[in-house]
Amino acid sequence: MSRYVLVGGGVATAATATGLRAAGFAGEIVLVSGEPHLPYERPPLSKEYLAGTFGRGDFQANPDGWAADNDIELVLGTRAQALDPGLRRLSLSDGSTLTYDALVLGTGVRARTLPGFEGDRVHVVRTIADSERLAERLVPGRHLAILGAGFIGCEVAAVAAAKGVRVTVFEPEALPLARVVGPEVGHAMLDVHGEQGVVIRTGELVTGMSETPSGVELRTRDGEVVECDDVLVGVGSVPNTELAVEAGLDVDGGILADEHGRTSAPDVYAVGDVASRLHHGRHVRVEHHDTAVRHGAALARTLLGESEPWTGEHYFWSHQYEHNVQSLGRLGGQTVLRGSLEERSFTVFSLADGRITGMVALNRPRDLLQTRKVLAVPHEVTAAQLADEDFALKGLLPQRPRRSEVRA
Amino acid sequence: MADTATGQWHAVMDVDDLWEGELESVDVEGTSVLLINLGGNQVMAYRNRCPHQDWPLQDGDLDGTTLTCAQHLWEFDVTSGRGVNPANCALVGYECKVDEDGTVQVRV
Repeated sequence: MSRYVLVGGGVATAATATGLRAAGFAGEIVLVSGEPHLPYERPPLSKEYLAGTFGRGDFQANPDGWAADNDIELVLGTRAQALDPGLRRLSLSDGSTLTYDALVLGTGVRARTLPGFEGDRVHVVRTIADSERLAERLVPGRHLAILGAGFIGCEVAAVAAAKGVRVTVFEPEALPLARVVGPEVGHAMLDVHGEQGVVIRTGELVTGMSETPSGVELRTRDGEVVECDDVLVGVGSVPNTELAVEAGLDVDGGILADEHGRTSAPDVYAVGDVASRLHHGRHVRVEHHDTAVRHGAALARTLLGESEPWTGEHYFWSHQYEHNVQSLGRLGGQTVLRGSLEERSFTVFSLADGRITGMVALNRPRDLLQTRKVLAVPHEVTAAQLADEDFALKGLLPQRPRRSEVRA
Repeated sequence: MADTATGQWHAVMDVDDLWEGELESVDVEGTSVLLINLGGNQVMAYRNRCPHQDWPLQDGDLDGTTLTCAQHLWEFDVTSGRGVNPANCALVGYECKVDEDGTVQVRV
């Protein structure tokens, strides 16, 4: 009987396991995760779980009985330590070894840390344990300093502010989130945070910290000393590629894989945040929940002999306060604004050669749903059309005869 | 779902007002219910909340029989309520029928 071993406790490996069983795979499935939890979704760690509106059961990738019902062997709280692709053997931190017929690496990423920033008052958010540890510190009246106004920094700022915590965010760039979502959403979210009492100090860098008996003193590049109770380091992530590197797999930023997820080693696959996959002709590594799920589901089909890769558009979202940021496809190049900056209801499209390549939106889920379909078909559109709210995005889709309009 | 077996039938709208391909939400005694006309006098009723994070579904997209939630793009087959992507979830369904006079009734 064949044995497929999945390494990693996120949604990518969970989707592979689910997909394999759904398609009737009868061999062994073993899922190894360094964390003690069933595979879970990470987006709520900096939002609903941190805020306390979700319990642990609300963001598991699968219900409690999933593993037993699907005959999936869970090896939790155990790390994959060494891989020998020649012998098709994986060594685990509990001293055991597993041989495999196929190995799926979904080892994810870890939060990037900063040298000199450590201790009981220094936080990151990547795991359930991280989120719980930070949540305990979000007490009204305390002062939380956040290093980095990326998604983690901004989402935690929103949750902390709502809990009555004083929040200061230090961001070396001129706007929050702007590197990923562009200046329009960056400006809007800068204002939103300001209105909620969060101080975002753009263009400022914290260069050092020291603990005092009652808190933390931060030093900025300009020599200012800022006192706070806790520090969140939100400066990005590092892919967990060590296992792959030591095993001799091709790694460049992430574990290199083709459009099916196949790495340079036979029968070894990479999915999710750690994978740098061929996507429309170039290697791309993205850390999006949606992409991880789709990688995982597509890999199940690949393992069962189907040859259709996932070629969909990359999608991500962020919720901060009552605002919803969504992004789809590739941003950059010529941009066109549709909607109202003042009303915080707009989409910024990216255009190339009369074709939409991507979009980012604030509070415009309808635009997103329609653009998703438009991106999947040949289309031609002008900047003026996109900027005109009377121009229906739906009009860019091939016209179908309307299904029966005869009422019963 | 447990309450549907003991729920009451409620007349919610006329089937002529429920267009094929459209998503309609109605309030039934404080419960938001999503109605979908599959054609041929077949109407489906679901709890108007995505099973992922409870966002309302009426702003989603219905393409053929696939419903996509506008928040995180979870997809469902509206003929069965089952998840398409991801596959390990399902909409909460309610019994639904269309009377001879075209009245849509939902058991909630």
